[in-house]
Amino acid sequence: MARRLLSLVPGLAFIALLLAGLEWAVDAGLVRRALMPPPSAIWAVLQDLGTSGEVLGPLFATLRLVFIGFALGSAVGIALGTAMGWWSAAFRLLEPLVEMMRPIPKAALVPPLMLFLGLGDTMKITSVALAVTFPVLVNTLQGVRGVDRVLLDSARTHGWGTGRTLRHVVLPASLPFILAGMRTSLGLALILAVLAEMLTGQGGLGFLILDMQRSFLIRQMYAWLVILALVGLALNALFGWAESRALHWQQRN
Amino acid sequence: MAILELEAVEKVFPGRGGPPTLAMDRLSLSVREGEFLSILGPSGCGKSTLLQIAAGLMEPSAGSVRVAGRTVSGPPPEAVYVFQQYGRSLLPWRSVRDNVAFAVEHRAGVSRAKARVLADAQLEAVGLTGFGDHFPWQLSGGMQQRVALARALAAEPRILLMDEPFSAVDALTRLDLHRLMLELWEKRGLTVVLVTHDVEEAVALSDRVALLTKRPSTIARVVETGLPRPRDPVEVRETPRFLELRHELLEALLTRGPKAGGHG
Repeated sequence: MARRLLSLVPGLAFIALLLAGLEWAVDAGLVRRALMPPPSAIWAVLQDLGTSGEVLGPLFATLRLVFIGFALGSAVGIALGTAMGWWSAAFRLLEPLVEMMRPIPKAALVPPLMLFLGLGDTMKITSVALAVTFPVLVNTLQGVRGVDRVLLDSARTHGWGTGRTLRHVVLPASLPFILAGMRTSLGLALILAVLAEMLTGQGGLGFLILDMQRSFLIRQMYAWLVILALVGLALNALFGWAESRALHWQQRN
Repeated sequence: MAILELEAVEKVFPGRGGPPTLAMDRLSLSVREGEFLSILGPSGCGKSTLLQIAAGLMEPSAGSVRVAGRTVSGPPPEAVYVFQQYGRSLLPWRSVRDNVAFAVEHRAGVSRAKARVLADAQLEAVGLTGFGDHFPWQLSGGMQQRVALARALAAEPRILLMDEPFSAVDALTRLDLHRLMLELWEKRGLTVVLVTHDVEEAVALSDRVALLTKRPSTIARVVETGLPRPRDPVEVRETPRFLELRHELLEALLTRGPKAGGHG
């Protein structure tokens, strides 16, 4: 742990150096203060937002979209990917549709979704879930197809049955792939949540960043941007931790 | 009485861009209840194919397989197959105890706690007391094979089908496992069908040895060992009868193999 922290020092020092350089550049008049306030000014806004508790509402609004959309999209992706990997009939039925849907940037689906689902959370969560589904689905499919023949035959000779084999053999064996897909999707979930908030002009971090920019509250805009970056960082760290716990058995294979 | 019968079993594999190959040609074999039978043959003669067909893991192209009088279509509940690749047959995310317990957890009336107790009993039977909390990758190859054996035993099969189960462990560990195998077979009244290319292993353990030809494989002949029971698989190697059988079977393997397939 200490070594891990130590290894972070050069990278963090570099960021500190950049911030100091920016501070100096703004003070020296090299950068227009109206467009890029000095980091110290942004820090002051962040402190305000933190102490007043103002940060919590929008933060939770965005996190809620991310979590619910991520959970739904992952569930659908895992279920469909498993079905397609296990039953060739399901694969033949769904594969063309999946291949057609997959390359569409899911951001482009937000406007049509707004027509059907309105501007509320249902639409935003659906957008997030759609973006999450495909990477999870494709990785799950690959994982399920790659399960060791010997493991599957062991399940058969012991008479474990399809449901039990899927749940206790195939899914755990595919878990490294599934989690890799989910890791990709987590980033997409945040992107779609922020974008949906911007497009609907309602609630959350995405909306605030756009709103502050339009209101020329530039320091506030940067402060919310910093908060968004921290959210991404925290989500990734949380996922990495959960992943290493779930795959503890893989350490020495 | 025969517990496992293969009748005129054929296996044809579709050729990859070429003509299909006949891997097994009208092979018939009858395994008696409670016997220890080895299937002996040169590498690549289709021993594993034969065992997988017997286990219901692979379908024969023609002929039939009967277990306890019923024709097999899919793995029969009476038989459990033990893999050569023992490490790959265990669930790496489960502890040793939970791997064994998993074989009984799904039975009616077996709680999770009871399954673990049953698992510990099987682990004791294979000499792995105290290793229940380890993960498979923390154990040596021989110990992993013992776990696979304990799991198979936990399912309480009447027949154990073993595919070169001791070929990937060192010589001493193998002798150790031979002793364990005979002990378990005697205690539990199992029927064991063991596939091997090791003549000494086949003779030392078995009541009968079925000799396979090269591809397309069929049974060349079946030899009764006539060695005494109970038997120590190490000491039996010094008896004249053992040496005689070893000589006979080695000769047969070395000379018969190439001729039988018709391309020698």
